[in-house]
Amino acid sequence: MFVNHEGGHYLEALKYVGKSITRIDAVEKVLGIAEYASDIELPGMLYAKLLLSPYAHAKIISINYEKALRVPGVVSVAVGDDFPFRVGLYVNDRNILARKKVRWVGEPVAAVVAEDLEAAEEAVELIEVEYEPLPAVLDVREALKPGAPLVHEELGEYAHSPAFNPIAGTNIANRFTLKKGNIVEGFNKSEVVVENEFYMPQVSHVQMETHVCIGHYMADGNIKIWTSAQSPFTVRYILSHSIGVPLHRISVYVPYVGGGFGGKAGINFEPLVVLLSKKAGYRPVKLELTREEHFLAAPLRQGFYAKIKTGVTKDGKIMAEKIFYAFDAGAYADYGVNVARAAGYSCTGPYYVPNIEAESLAVYTNHQWGTAFRGFGHFEFLWAIERQMEIVASKLGIDPVEFRLKNALLPGLTTATGEVLREDAGRVDQCIEAVAKELRWGELTPTNDPKKVRAKGIAALWKAPAMPPNAASSAIIKFNEDGTVLLSVGVTEIGQGTVTSLAQIAAEELGVPIEKIRVVPFRHTDLTPYSWQTVASRNLFMEGRAVIRAARDAKEQILEIASQVLRAPKDDLIIKDEKVWVKGRPEWSLHLKDIVAGYVYPNGNTIGGPIIGRGYFVGTRLSYLDPETGQGYPALKWTFGAQGVEIELDLETGEVKVLKLVSAFDVGKAINPMLVIGQIIGGGIQSLSLGMWEQYVYDDKGRMLNPNLTDYKIARAGDIPEEIIPIIIENPQSDGPYGARGVAELSMLSVPAAIANAIFHATGVNINDLPLTYENIWKALNKKR
Amino acid sequence: MLPKFEYYSPTSLSEALDLLEKYGEDAKIIAGGTDLLVSMRDRILKPKCLIDIKKIPELRRIEYKEGVGLTIGAAVTFKDILEYPNLEKKYRVLWEAVKTIGDMILRNRATLVGNICNASPAADSAPALLILDARARIINKNDGVREVPLERFFIGVKKTILKPTEIVKEVFVPEPPANCYGKYVKVMRVQSEDLAVVGVAGLAYRDRGDLIIRLAYSSVAPTPIRVKEVEEVFKKKNMSLDEKIEEAVKISSEKVSPISDVRGSAEYRLNLVKVATRRLIKELVEVV
Repeated sequence: MFVNHEGGHYLEALKYVGKSITRIDAVEKVLGIAEYASDIELPGMLYAKLLLSPYAHAKIISINYEKALRVPGVVSVAVGDDFPFRVGLYVNDRNILARKKVRWVGEPVAAVVAEDLEAAEEAVELIEVEYEPLPAVLDVREALKPGAPLVHEELGEYAHSPAFNPIAGTNIANRFTLKKGNIVEGFNKSEVVVENEFYMPQVSHVQMETHVCIGHYMADGNIKIWTSAQSPFTVRYILSHSIGVPLHRISVYVPYVGGGFGGKAGINFEPLVVLLSKKAGYRPVKLELTREEHFLAAPLRQGFYAKIKTGVTKDGKIMAEKIFYAFDAGAYADYGVNVARAAGYSCTGPYYVPNIEAESLAVYTNHQWGTAFRGFGHFEFLWAIERQMEIVASKLGIDPVEFRLKNALLPGLTTATGEVLREDAGRVDQCIEAVAKELRWGELTPTNDPKKVRAKGIAALWKAPAMPPNAASSAIIKFNEDGTVLLSVGVTEIGQGTVTSLAQIAAEELGVPIEKIRVVPFRHTDLTPYSWQTVASRNLFMEGRAVIRAARDAKEQILEIASQVLRAPKDDLIIKDEKVWVKGRPEWSLHLKDIVAGYVYPNGNTIGGPIIGRGYFVGTRLSYLDPETGQGYPALKWTFGAQGVEIELDLETGEVKVLKLVSAFDVGKAINPMLVIGQIIGGGIQSLSLGMWEQYVYDDKGRMLNPNLTDYKIARAGDIPEEIIPIIIENPQSDGPYGARGVAELSMLSVPAAIANAIFHATGVNINDLPLTYENIWKALNKKR
Repeated sequence: MLPKFEYYSPTSLSEALDLLEKYGEDAKIIAGGTDLLVSMRDRILKPKCLIDIKKIPELRRIEYKEGVGLTIGAAVTFKDILEYPNLEKKYRVLWEAVKTIGDMILRNRATLVGNICNASPAADSAPALLILDARARIINKNDGVREVPLERFFIGVKKTILKPTEIVKEVFVPEPPANCYGKYVKVMRVQSEDLAVVGVAGLAYRDRGDLIIRLAYSSVAPTPIRVKEVEEVFKKKNMSLDEKIEEAVKISSEKVSPISDVRGSAEYRLNLVKVATRRLIKELVEVV
């Protein structure tokens, strides 16, 4: 494999990049010695337990915690008014503990801090809270109606990032609008117009590791945090901003994270433990959620409603689309406002649509609060778009694969925001074709059993990182005295494997064997180079470029020294196999270990010193979007893909079995094919699970009825399709590291639509609401009969 | 965390019965703990004391005697049952039902007697035990052993006839009819592991040429239930098999009383009862 992209500059075979190297954290994790936040215990540490609200919406009249304080071992009890701060990534709307009123069933109302967890648990049951129930708003459409109860009366007073548009006096936490072309003209030119509504419920991230954090407010005013967070720098920044402590007095430590999926992005329970620590006499305080608490109190993925009107010509060209998306953001929108924005600017899916009018809202309700979730709005709207494409194709009598290809967004065409898709962008058409081919699209498999049918379905997808234009990444490469290397990056290891790929890039660039490179396994904001967040499938791309730059910076320094010792100009030197050589003269060389801590001449004279390379990366020419039209450049890179399934459907019970799952993604360049395949398989299964089973089931009072893994169903090993085919397509993007694009979230975007499309082909029944539980399918089939 | 409790681990049955006599309603018997500990963690149960019966050798006994039947002690795990020689053939319907319970990790720990004492309407082992005419052998300190047919053992959701001072020592499952064929159909929300949305156990055999069918259900009534009325249908002379099957489906769907909950609606469950019953009988008839 030879490459000549900006990212990689060798015109020779790659040694590490493109190879399926075993994850560098594998041994630690298999041996059980990898460190997670839950493992951390500190001297004098206290334990916190939360009292959760039983009401979806209620005034807090009084809280009496005298009895709780009398439980032996209890050190302190805190309530909302103890902590008069608001936090939020984009909109500062979130209380540390509920103040004045509660906004969802499960909102933390009080916290007990005790010497041990048993005492804290005993005490928390003794806290007496008097509530005055308020009318609750439990549906996103109801929340938009005039006169709906307001979840946030003070919305107008909240600080927010200028990219967002909360509307005071309503439940709208963010309103994103987009206008491209001329919608009236577009529909006038359309011969067929199709309008549909779609829906999906709130879901949990169900990370294996629940939220865990320790806060230590030190007596000298410095703050230390140990947490299972995805984004240590964002935790530090928001905390600083919210409580008015400068950044240099806050340290955030993040070990390995046991799964994030977006739920541990932004800031979560860290401010609470820090403030509890202060109240409890400057002792460290640990909070670790149980699974049930995680279901009730931790942030989740927002619910979603969509209404899409599509205008097409008879020969299958999309002319116009009017789109309305409403996200059920729950009680706080914090980070969630950006989900609506991201879905808004990507609203069409991977299709060229010349005329668009779109509105995408983040809407407060008295449901649990929402945050980022793998896919970040795209899983949600692609469910709607990819079902809509299927329905439109069927109305036109055009094969759905052909219809998608006809409207595929290809290089040179404009996206919804008016961005001209770059010439080296990924190719959605190739992904769709690859999946169709692997599925033997058009060939039908008969079944022996008349009660069962088999069918196939396809759905396409795209996504760009949803991030501010200035989101940055950086990397530090430090050489040790023996020529081994420490690579330090701000991306956290949440299971995705990015650090392995970064080590491969560093090894490739430095000419050092990968065994001699160690990626620092923890993040510590005092030492680790900055990374905005570990989210958005942005880190391989951005940290990857930063690592390349850091390696080149280190090499420059090495060549500077070597040039003097070897008495040769720098541009005549190369670094390879842990040596610096004069080109064409392998006998004139130096070992890296003799340079990287300074070169010592035989008489003791020393030149140079310890080598530390650094590099950063920010997106090129990204822009804010126009507040009215949504036009601009939001995308660092677009990754495209397609997913398809073959299913067997039991017509009498609604039971669906996914027999085969095929996914293709244009990743530009697979730095580590095994990791890419791992993402494709893992994401595919998560997508299947979300599509078929996962949902928050609420009663009419807004109480979650299934806060446990008995009744909140997720896919287990036995639910994995027998045949899973991952397809890697590589059309390199010249500004990606070695041409690579991110794939992590992409792998889970479109399986539900593919399944529903297959059900449609099998039965003619359109199911537009998730999840596709057997019962829901049965009900839909029954309705038709 | 679990509420605090005293823990006893007697090594003989008499010791266990003495403890039960002493603590009565304040005590709970623990074997596998897979239901009990969940309820305690959820603060639904707060027993003062737990009596662990796993160290009582005679309760760990599982034994099949040709021509007599199968005895399953109170501390016998589902794993023990699955691994017992020839059970898969001899007690196929029970073996199949046991295999659907939880996952391997759970079956390594959970016990069959615990499953029936917990008396969940969804108890997977219960329908099979009901159609096999199983009996619970109950013991207390003063009166010795009494034997109760399983049909009379369950009296409501999570309720049995068991008194606080009693232990189900073992379950006895008589020798099944010769050449019978049994099957357990468990309809779940997923393909992998789940509680039953509807469970149907069926047993079929020929008695001097006459087809005998027995059916029992889980998750569709306050207790697992055997629908004996169905058995009469197949004894009728002037009906075709298809008519009998439809009649059986009709009777079963009238005898069950499913509720709507987070696991399924009553109407869906009723549909599953019909579909599963019809399919199950057809399969049974094909075999015997």
